[in-house]
Amino acid sequence: MAVTGATDSPVVALPPLTGEDAARSSDRSRVHHARLGGKRWWLIWLLVGPGILAMLGENDGPSMIAYASDGAQYGLGFFVPFIPLLFAMAYVCQEMCMRVGAVTHRGYGELVLQRFGSVWGWFAAADLTLTNLVTLVAEFVSIRVGLAYFHLGPVVAVALGLVLVVFTFSGGRYWRWERIVLGMALFNGLFLVAAILVKPHVGAIVSSFDFSPFPGGSFNTLLLLIASTIGATVTPWMIFFQQGASADKGMTPRDINHGRYDTAVGAVLAAVFGVGALIAGAALLTHNGAGIQGFAGAGYPEALRRVAGGAAGAVFALGLVEAGAVAILTISASTAYAAAECVGVAHSFNTFPREAALFYAANFGVALIAAVVILIPGAPLLSIALNANVLATVLLPVGLVFMVMLANDKGLMGRWANKRSTNVIGISVIAFVGLCGAAYGIDAFLLTTHLIG
Amino acid sequence: MKTQTPIMNDAHPISSIPEQDLQAHERFEDELILHLERDQFVAETSRPVPRAALSPRATTGLWALRIFVVLVSLMVIYTFIDQLH
Repeated sequence: MAVTGATDSPVVALPPLTGEDAARSSDRSRVHHARLGGKRWWLIWLLVGPGILAMLGENDGPSMIAYASDGAQYGLGFFVPFIPLLFAMAYVCQEMCMRVGAVTHRGYGELVLQRFGSVWGWFAAADLTLTNLVTLVAEFVSIRVGLAYFHLGPVVAVALGLVLVVFTFSGGRYWRWERIVLGMALFNGLFLVAAILVKPHVGAIVSSFDFSPFPGGSFNTLLLLIASTIGATVTPWMIFFQQGASADKGMTPRDINHGRYDTAVGAVLAAVFGVGALIAGAALLTHNGAGIQGFAGAGYPEALRRVAGGAAGAVFALGLVEAGAVAILTISASTAYAAAECVGVAHSFNTFPREAALFYAANFGVALIAAVVILIPGAPLLSIALNANVLATVLLPVGLVFMVMLANDKGLMGRWANKRSTNVIGISVIAFVGLCGAAYGIDAFLLTTHLIG
Repeated sequence: MKTQTPIMNDAHPISSIPEQDLQAHERFEDELILHLERDQFVAETSRPVPRAALSPRATTGLWALRIFVVLVSLMVIYTFIDQLH
């Protein structure tokens, strides 16, 4: 089913046209006119979105807490270059998602289900739902931690998250949804501001790019942090989201280069802001992480306030609220794409809730379930946040294997199928992610069951 | 299959539409078609893609990976629950 070029000639047999088609066509007409008029920057503006959202959405609450934990426990060395390296890996995976979405106009879930059978499709959806539920709990935790700095309670955190989900539904347009979330996602830059406010030693940051000193201490803790840091950059929801959003946006093979810019810009911004969180967390290093006591260890803003002042604490707290809020929107969307694609019903923001009931119900329902969990008193919030990332890392290799298979499928992709070099890098990424996730899982299990000392 | 209501199909017989409206409809229809690839239409994306033939080796590999991933996930979940205590 290799896809041909744009439809420039009259179509003989007209398929029935829906409201979704009309909305997508309206967006595409602007792209068409920008391209014809040679408006380069306007074209870039129209085509960016899914890549930046996937990358900045992944700079979510648990990710920023994981980066801050890395900084607070190990300082700048190793993790400063490690985070950009991971986002380079994420770029390789996400570029494939974007390309498959642009060429096939279909989401990841439906392609896996239809191409490889319902067993694999439903396994993928189940993996996604499990990791998304845990991750969404961690996103609400992030908002709760951020708001607690301003003396606002968990009910406000829950209400804020859920109201945002409902608010972005209004309009029945993908474009509107995307622009609202994109506008919010840019506030991920607050972590860079927090990093500046802690007044880091620039020389120490530059010298840490040689991956030294390698972190010491407990081997299992190190594995946990490495696995959770990987889970903070590449996760199953990003695969579903970027492919689904690229198709929903109406991207075509002609837009692939712009999709690459979009993904690359997202990766760079996410790496810079992620390193910002790490640097802010590293301000707590000399205190051995002491003071990170609130919310069972997730109280970084308060700890930062004591070490670097109220402004740093407040900015970090606002950053956590933003990171959690944006991720709730993107992760809920990925769940909705997966659920509706696997069932085979409408799955687009270019529809109204009455036309795509399951899509919108899954979107809101998964957020609602996660919201209820965080209202449970005494929940181990830092542990949930870090383990959400680890679980994502462990489950990721299967999703990536299918992504590489789809991107190599000449029947679907035609001349846009993976090149050999992309496959070599992609398979290396899968092996690395699988190895790190399995190493932590097995080591932690053996320690817990006292099979090793 | 997707269940959206078509905005333009045989449900509205052409003979029942006034000439002026018909021309407007046709213009609108042409605009829609012009800016979308044919296989971008909901009607087209609703059609399933053909099933790929996986070799026995690939199927075995996928199942091995799936079982391994489930086992490691259970280990992570067990460790997490144990740490809660």
